[in-house]
Amino acid sequence: MAKTMTDLSSKKIFTTGEVAQICKVSQQTVIRCFDKGRLSGFRVPGSRFRRIPREALIAFMKANGIPSNHLDSGKKRILIVDDDAAIVEMLVELLTRDGRFEVRTAATGYDAGILTEQFRPDAILLDFKLPDINGTAVCRSIRANPNYAGTRIIAMSGVADPDEIAELRAAGADEFIRKPFEIQMLIDRTAELVQVA
Amino acid sequence: MIRTIPEQSGTTVVSTDRNRDRIELILSHLDRLPTLPAVAVRLLAATTSDRSSADDVVRIIESDATLTAAILRLVQRADRGVRLETATVAQAVVLLGFSAVRNAVLSVQIHGTMSSLGASAEGEAFRSEFWTHSLAVACAAEMIAADPRCSAAPDEAFVCGLLHDIGKIALDACMPKSYARVVDRVKRQRECICDAERAMFGIDHTVAGKRLATHWRLPRSIIDCVWLHHHDPNGLPPALIGSNLVQVVHLADHVVRSRRIGFSGYNHTSSFEELAAGLGVDAEALNRIANRLPERMERYCELVGLGELDASDICAKSLAAANQELGRINAELAGANRQLEIRAKCFDAIDSFTRSLGAHKGVAEVCAAAGEAIRAMVDGDRALAYVRSPGGQYVYIGRSMPSSRHDGCSIMDVGTTSDAPSAHDPAAPPVAAGFARCSGWQSELWTRVFEKPAARVIHALPIGAPGEIGVGAVLVSAPDPRISLFRNANAECTALTMAIGLAVATAASRTDLERTNEELLDVNRRLHETQRQLVRARSISMIGEMAAGAAHELNNPLAVISGRAQMLHADCADAAAAERLNMIIEQTERASQIVTDLMRFAKPEAPTPMSHGLADALAEACQRWRTRSSLRDEQIVLSLPAPDVNVYVDPLQLDTILDAIIANAIEATSPETALIKINSSSESSDDTIRIQVEDNGVGMAPDVLERALDPFFSDRPAGRGRGLGLSRAYRYAEINGGCLWLESTPNIGTTVTIELPARRSG
Repeated sequence: MAKTMTDLSSKKIFTTGEVAQICKVSQQTVIRCFDKGRLSGFRVPGSRFRRIPREALIAFMKANGIPSNHLDSGKKRILIVDDDAAIVEMLVELLTRDGRFEVRTAATGYDAGILTEQFRPDAILLDFKLPDINGTAVCRSIRANPNYAGTRIIAMSGVADPDEIAELRAAGADEFIRKPFEIQMLIDRTAELVQVA
Repeated sequence: MIRTIPEQSGTTVVSTDRNRDRIELILSHLDRLPTLPAVAVRLLAATTSDRSSADDVVRIIESDATLTAAILRLVQRADRGVRLETATVAQAVVLLGFSAVRNAVLSVQIHGTMSSLGASAEGEAFRSEFWTHSLAVACAAEMIAADPRCSAAPDEAFVCGLLHDIGKIALDACMPKSYARVVDRVKRQRECICDAERAMFGIDHTVAGKRLATHWRLPRSIIDCVWLHHHDPNGLPPALIGSNLVQVVHLADHVVRSRRIGFSGYNHTSSFEELAAGLGVDAEALNRIANRLPERMERYCELVGLGELDASDICAKSLAAANQELGRINAELAGANRQLEIRAKCFDAIDSFTRSLGAHKGVAEVCAAAGEAIRAMVDGDRALAYVRSPGGQYVYIGRSMPSSRHDGCSIMDVGTTSDAPSAHDPAAPPVAAGFARCSGWQSELWTRVFEKPAARVIHALPIGAPGEIGVGAVLVSAPDPRISLFRNANAECTALTMAIGLAVATAASRTDLERTNEELLDVNRRLHETQRQLVRARSISMIGEMAAGAAHELNNPLAVISGRAQMLHADCADAAAAERLNMIIEQTERASQIVTDLMRFAKPEAPTPMSHGLADALAEACQRWRTRSSLRDEQIVLSLPAPDVNVYVDPLQLDTILDAIIANAIEATSPETALIKINSSSESSDDTIRIQVEDNGVGMAPDVLERALDPFFSDRPAGRGRGLGLSRAYRYAEINGGCLWLESTPNIGTTVTIELPARRSG
């Protein structure tokens, strides 16, 4: 049964039929591409059913010039990681009100890891000082996974220690913003990094 | 047996044994001496016995035919004028008196026995003198005992007096040659005869006499007198003093000695007035007795027939003896006087030397004082005293000349200078040697110090050197005769040089002590400073940790406040409300900035030093503040350094330092009258650039000045503090390898001085 685009856009694993529907090509073409290795994926153990992960599909669509906008909501996904509820609340309100961003939040480094996996954020607003691990460690583990190569990281801290900033940048942070900040600057810089007009 | 180290125990044992052997030998000799005739012994017993009567004595004399004949001859001779047909002893007793007869008999018997003891040729003269002495003592003792106040029997006293010194005869009889040596030694050295006898024989005449008296079976009272007559009766145990005969003989002996009648050696007795008083005899009575002594003796000798004695002769002889002795004493005194004169000179020198030593004299000054003292002592032309430093490299020198009031002190380096005398002086004489000819090294030193050779011979007196200070000497040029006076006064010279040595050592250790004290003070000061810096560093690092924590904690809420205000502001249509929101945003930023500044102060960014022109940095800072402040240009005066003067510091941090200091100066002054002068100086020697910023502002009181560099310190109880300006400047100067300090006088102004490295160090 054909699914709506909205249903499909949040899926992580696709069948060849779904891929054909998304890419607006025939299922046979999809199977051929899969078998020739142009579309990477796996077979369901104990059967011949082909399955294609979301990343492989997006890579395939990009490689073949197929528009991939309809795979998501059209908004940039932003993950806010901070243990200060007041800050989180303010940032959520700020980014949501802007309208260009879809926002999720995490209060610890551990939650940040899980949500990065699930939510696949385009950018992470990362507080340096977290209750469990510090921002540098979070940065490092995200950058260690090539699947999130496109994810932008904006580190934030109440202390602008040059050594810490250098360390964050080395760990893969794209930007550092000191708290308190100008809200407009924060929004502009975020939008710029995730390439929204 | 004495057991110590071998050779010592050997000699000790031998001498002890020899001494014991010698005494045994003498005692056995004494025991072999002839005894008194039996008649004499019986007569003595009768005399000293209370129960005997004149009849007993007469019977005893009559029992001996020879004795009877002698007595009768005696009576005839004594009574030359009267031809009396005395036929019996009893008649003689009546005529001559009982005691006279008894005494005569005893004297004859004892004299005869003693004469039979034999004497050497040398001994003969002594025997005669001795006999005179014994007779004199016997007579004196009889007269003393006859004094009504003295409770002693005159007869017994006579006999005791006569016999008291028989020990001398005994010793002379046993060892004639040795005893002659004893007598000779006693006459020459005026030594106590008992000591001389003990030194020669191991025993003295009192002990020998006691032995002889016992051998002769003399009565107990006589034995006691013989034995104890030299002892102070007050010191004797009461059991030993049977009667006061011992005292009487002692006193008689003293009277005879004082008149120099006969000779019997010297005795050093003291308390004879006390003794006389104890016997109830006063000085006047003694004097009378002494005056009557020669006459009494003459009569007695005549009576007894023991040679002719003339009273005037006795007086003349005693006078001659006294004169002779006086002459000897005179000669001795003259010699002693000479010795004393030299000694006095030495002690005068010590005295003037010690007087001239102040409390704070150094080694060279002590040398000068020593030179002066010795030059004065020997009437020298010039003197110099030197002492080597412990290492031998330096010589402390003090010189003395009669013309100059100021004694010259110097320290000469003899270790390094090639033309100076070498430190090694092989011919250093021993300290106790007294004056000696100076060595070649010493005359070289003399020439060097006085810049010409000495006109006379230089004499050297080595300085005693206790402790670690090296040896030295006093060199003096003086006439030879003056020096030779001191040739035999080595002990005194040694005392003098030891005093000098001691003073030198004291001065040296005092100098050391002072130096150590000064060093200790300096170490103390540095320790104090280090501690102060440590405390400061610790408090700064604590501030840093606190500030970093505070920055994290504070900046989150500040971010919320600021963010929310910005959001409200964005939505705000009301201009007035928007303005208020703006104020919230600005103040939030300011609060955040304060926390950040504090953190930066405690944990500043590591400087990136580089060499750059000081002139540009100063000129730019001045320009900044001429623009920023309301002061007129001429109120900030800069003396530009040379264009080639560079500083090696972080340029941005130098700007921060200069800004903070100039801002502080401007704040302290009133805009109308402010005058801020900026100078700089560089010293190529210590690679340091010094910048001074001087203002004519309100200045600071000492307690304020003390804390002026503390962060957020303010001397104003209310109102805005200085913030971190000066503290940060201090901190930046510090981390750039420089330093910064303030000098300030209230109402005059403040000067801030910064020292910065001119170039990379190392």
